[in-house]
Amino acid sequence: MITNEFIAKIEGHGSLRVNWENNTIKLHVHEGERLFEGILVGKTAEEAHWITPRICGICPIAHNLASLASLENALGIKINETAKLLRGLMKAGQMIQSHVLHLFFLSLPDYIGLDKGTELVKKDPKSFAKALSLKELADEIAFVIAGRNVHPTTTAIGGFHKIPSKKELEKLLEKIKKTEKEVEWAVKFFSELKYPELKVDLELVSQKDGKIVSNKTSDVDRKTSDVDIKDYKQNLEEELRDYSTAKFGKFQGREIMVGALARLANVRHSVSNILDFNNPFHNNIAQAVEIFEFSKEAEEIIEKLLTREMDSIIAKPSENATLKGIGAVEAPRGGLYHEIHLDEKGIITYANIITPTVQNLTSIEKSANALMEQFKDRPTKEKEKLLNMLVRAYDPCITCSVH
Amino acid sequence: MKLISLREKLLLLEKKVEIVNWRLGQERFEAGPYDIVIIEGNPLIQQEVDLLKELRNNTPILISLGACAGLGGIPAIMPEKDRKMWYEKIYTSQYHPRGIDAVPLSNYVKIDFTIHGCPIDEEEVIRVIEELLSGKKPSYRGYSVCFECKLAGNSCLLLENKPCLGPITQGGCKAICISGGSPCYGCFGLREEANIPALKKIFDIKKLFSMFHSRTKI
Repeated sequence: MITNEFIAKIEGHGSLRVNWENNTIKLHVHEGERLFEGILVGKTAEEAHWITPRICGICPIAHNLASLASLENALGIKINETAKLLRGLMKAGQMIQSHVLHLFFLSLPDYIGLDKGTELVKKDPKSFAKALSLKELADEIAFVIAGRNVHPTTTAIGGFHKIPSKKELEKLLEKIKKTEKEVEWAVKFFSELKYPELKVDLELVSQKDGKIVSNKTSDVDRKTSDVDIKDYKQNLEEELRDYSTAKFGKFQGREIMVGALARLANVRHSVSNILDFNNPFHNNIAQAVEIFEFSKEAEEIIEKLLTREMDSIIAKPSENATLKGIGAVEAPRGGLYHEIHLDEKGIITYANIITPTVQNLTSIEKSANALMEQFKDRPTKEKEKLLNMLVRAYDPCITCSVH
Repeated sequence: MKLISLREKLLLLEKKVEIVNWRLGQERFEAGPYDIVIIEGNPLIQQEVDLLKELRNNTPILISLGACAGLGGIPAIMPEKDRKMWYEKIYTSQYHPRGIDAVPLSNYVKIDFTIHGCPIDEEEVIRVIEELLSGKKPSYRGYSVCFECKLAGNSCLLLENKPCLGPITQGGCKAICISGGSPCYGCFGLREEANIPALKKIFDIKKLFSMFHSRTKI
């Protein structure tokens, strides 16, 4: 049946089921099971970083990088400095690309009374032109370094099949510098929007220096609470719910939020004063701040690359490889974990993937219930609208969550 | 992501076609019937198959978008007989699965045109819509990836004894994977009159390139 039961402007099929009698909410996920962890088993190691980007069309680079990191970890490979920098650049491009798409095309219409992102061209053509130039910049970074704006073609286990020339990097740097004003404008623009004043006791979690870090714990016991990424599986539990084909994640048994807001909370960023870390709607502002941050980072990485000799050699596996590897990256929507095991011939024998949205689903329900309580006197229609806005503010990728 | 990458061209497209139902891009929803329906992905639950059939019955032009819809793609790598085992391994044996076998749309209904690729080439969407608007039936490209690969100035992988599906794959991607240092995995589908037996003499296609073609007769 042709239906509009699914929440619009999010990736994948999800819907909120409200029990109006007791004001409680469940987030139903309707995607058919995609079984990527099974698909990988029996495939060659070289296919993993080609298959996993297909989990998601919005953050394929993040999946590509996570698979490569896990395979290199399994094979005892240390990639060279050039490759490290280029991968950092890919990640920066991925962050900008995904955040721009989400902010301007999925989320912004909620706050300025539009239905879809392209309608901004009539209402505010100057802003729309700026949004497009940000999208163009992000696509260009991905294209020059990863070979394509989505689904990388240049990356290899141990480095890159093909690295960009210095001339290409210089052109890219010029483009980043030319887009600086738009990047600064984006932060101002999204911090000046009016967000619903929701207060949720959020536990914000992100990866930092090889650890999984939570903002919840006081400084005193912080050391004991941060966990090594290698222990991700024991600390990030996944629960089954009968109304969802995606699992619901928790960190040490608690509901957590991951993504831009969590990353900024955990670095105590200089712009923290414009962010309310107890309001999930502020994830939108945090993403805009990150567009700025990652554009700066991309600039710095290119400058570094331009001052050194580029090394295009692909690093080889070590002889005493463990054949079991974990690859963790901060994807646009939060911490992403790939674990891959290989046999002696390089065939995949085990794969485990935990996506950011799996971790956020639990928190979305928690915040939605808080919204129902805090906005209970508002008319039903308005509450429904606010709930959809809230889900979008989390920038969930339902498709990724059913991987 | 690819459609938004069209940027200004997406606006031009919107001037020519009215998008009345696109959940990922807008709230606006009209229940149809529609003049053109573009479908991405494979149906993975029975309701999606029913919806696909309903749309087919009420739509003059049905187009599939991308390798999952057109070829089966990555989800189709999972053989139907293995799904039960993986539901148990990934979700536990108490779990009640909803999924069905992942196959191309053409296994269920007639498709009027397939926009190939994983990812698609966004320019192809413009071309197909333009041709439809001018009353033409869109045509497939009659040349292989090799043709575009030469234009891109790449050296031939086969001549270096490296496997590549370029010769049997339809052009349209501008040989982007080979330009990036990877082989062609065939995501644009088989070209007409592809000489598969000749390529099979060089390497085992099924073994090396099942990624997009697990459901293709090769």
